[in-house]
Amino acid sequence: MWEQIRSNQVRSVILIALIAGLLLAVGYFLGLYFFDSAVGGLVIALVVWAIMSLIAFFQGDSILLGMAKARKIKPDDAPRLYNVVEEMKIASGLEKMPDVYIIDDPAPNAFATGRDPSRASVAITTGLLQKLNRDELQGVIGHEIAHIKNRDVLLMAITAVMLGTIVILSWYASRFLLFGAMTGSGRRSSSRSSGGGAQAIILIVGIVLMILAPIIAQFIYYAISRKREYLADASSALYTRYPEGLASALEKIGSSTRQLKSANKATAPMYTVNPLNKEGMKVSDLTSTHPPISERIRILRAMAGGASFADYNDAYRKVHSGKPGIISKNTATVVGAVGIREASLSAPGELALASGKSAGRTTPGTHDVSDLTLRLDKWRTVDCECGARWKVPPGFRDDNILCTRCGRRIRL
Amino acid sequence: MLCPVCHKDALIVEYQDIELDYCPVCHGVWFDAGELELLMASAGFEDFRRYLDGIINAPETDTQEKKHKCPACGHKMKKAYIDPDSKILVDVCHIGEGIWFDGGEVTRLIQALAQKAPDKGPSQGVLAFVGDMFKYQE
Repeated sequence: MWEQIRSNQVRSVILIALIAGLLLAVGYFLGLYFFDSAVGGLVIALVVWAIMSLIAFFQGDSILLGMAKARKIKPDDAPRLYNVVEEMKIASGLEKMPDVYIIDDPAPNAFATGRDPSRASVAITTGLLQKLNRDELQGVIGHEIAHIKNRDVLLMAITAVMLGTIVILSWYASRFLLFGAMTGSGRRSSSRSSGGGAQAIILIVGIVLMILAPIIAQFIYYAISRKREYLADASSALYTRYPEGLASALEKIGSSTRQLKSANKATAPMYTVNPLNKEGMKVSDLTSTHPPISERIRILRAMAGGASFADYNDAYRKVHSGKPGIISKNTATVVGAVGIREASLSAPGELALASGKSAGRTTPGTHDVSDLTLRLDKWRTVDCECGARWKVPPGFRDDNILCTRCGRRIRL
Repeated sequence: MLCPVCHKDALIVEYQDIELDYCPVCHGVWFDAGELELLMASAGFEDFRRYLDGIINAPETDTQEKKHKCPACGHKMKKAYIDPDSKILVDVCHIGEGIWFDGGEVTRLIQALAQKAPDKGPSQGVLAFVGDMFKYQE
């Protein structure tokens, strides 16, 4: 285990250095082009890089949560969900309970972020809460907690912020070049006719670099991210002692055709399952940050004997006949034999229930998850005597509403 | 949700686990695709999605009525006739997020369908449910 975590930390450093190099290269050529001095560009790139690194380290998690429009919830808001997170926190041996966030989005997905295990957050979409039962949710939360435990979260936060910077910089620079070429071409050619050839070469290299930088950055990230996903899957199986939970959750997430509204290229690697490019799966399998879902499911389902890392390794070997296991021998042997537990009985969607409303109900209501987000938005709920339940937005001005079902006036 | 017609906050009314958005100002009703599917399923309709796709893919209706933006996806909705006699013009989201009924259109649809098929099986349950829901208007 420790060996894996250590190698993750080493990789974080390599990754940051590589992306810094990329950023410097972009800065070098931009500087040459815009200010005729490579030093100027380098200095700007360095400053940007330093600022972004600091921001990523100290604020990366809040930025990502903000970008995903995630909202923090308290234990009372969704006690059972909180309970599952707590279970996984204990199972993983994490010292501090991570913050729990909800994203109001029907696409089922989840991610974890943070700086280190003592400052971390887990975010879950409402779609995920609605579709998964307890075992499945436990599997997904186990996977996210494993990312925190294995210290993948800082790496993910930094990459996402850096990727974002490179994407934004290249985008703006390319707009600048296009715009400049259209409006200022006459002036430029007359004043610098002497160095025209060198200018053109620098421009071409700069443009190529700008187009390639985001792609290169993704490849760098891709190169080191797949193994971590397998390790998180294996850890989830170990924490829950029930690999089928995560397998069937992945199946549900994978079969959903909805795209996450707030996900983009920079934040995609964070999620449990890549939220983009559902249709172009064939091509994106080559470059995607996540291993194909089908393969992850096959491995989890092949874990017949037990839920330990060694069992995951055996399953991985079974699926990829001939290849060595994904988890190194030392790590695999640390944990002894772990049995697989029985499935627990629960229905999809009931995890979001806050006590009270559906305590007496046998089947979970369909709107408990949406009610949770309405509550967070400070909506009021009034029950009419005829059985209709009216939900009133916080900005509603009238002091009464007419129940259209029975004609009664309800005072607010 | 904001009412696509008056751009004010709409109310949500839940009854028997079906949730509908209702604008108290213009009396319009938003049927979210998921809610409509639940409602239809409870009445025994299984292939609701195909029915919805049929409405979405129908040719654009030529009309003077003002176009509204879908409260779910934000793009302009399409005008489509929903009753067999082509009298009731509703707004449908292009990607199937739901259907918007202007004030009074729900009642008119129910009356039209009730005349067509006075006692026809499962659809009666849905009509009765929706009819009861918006019986009283100011």
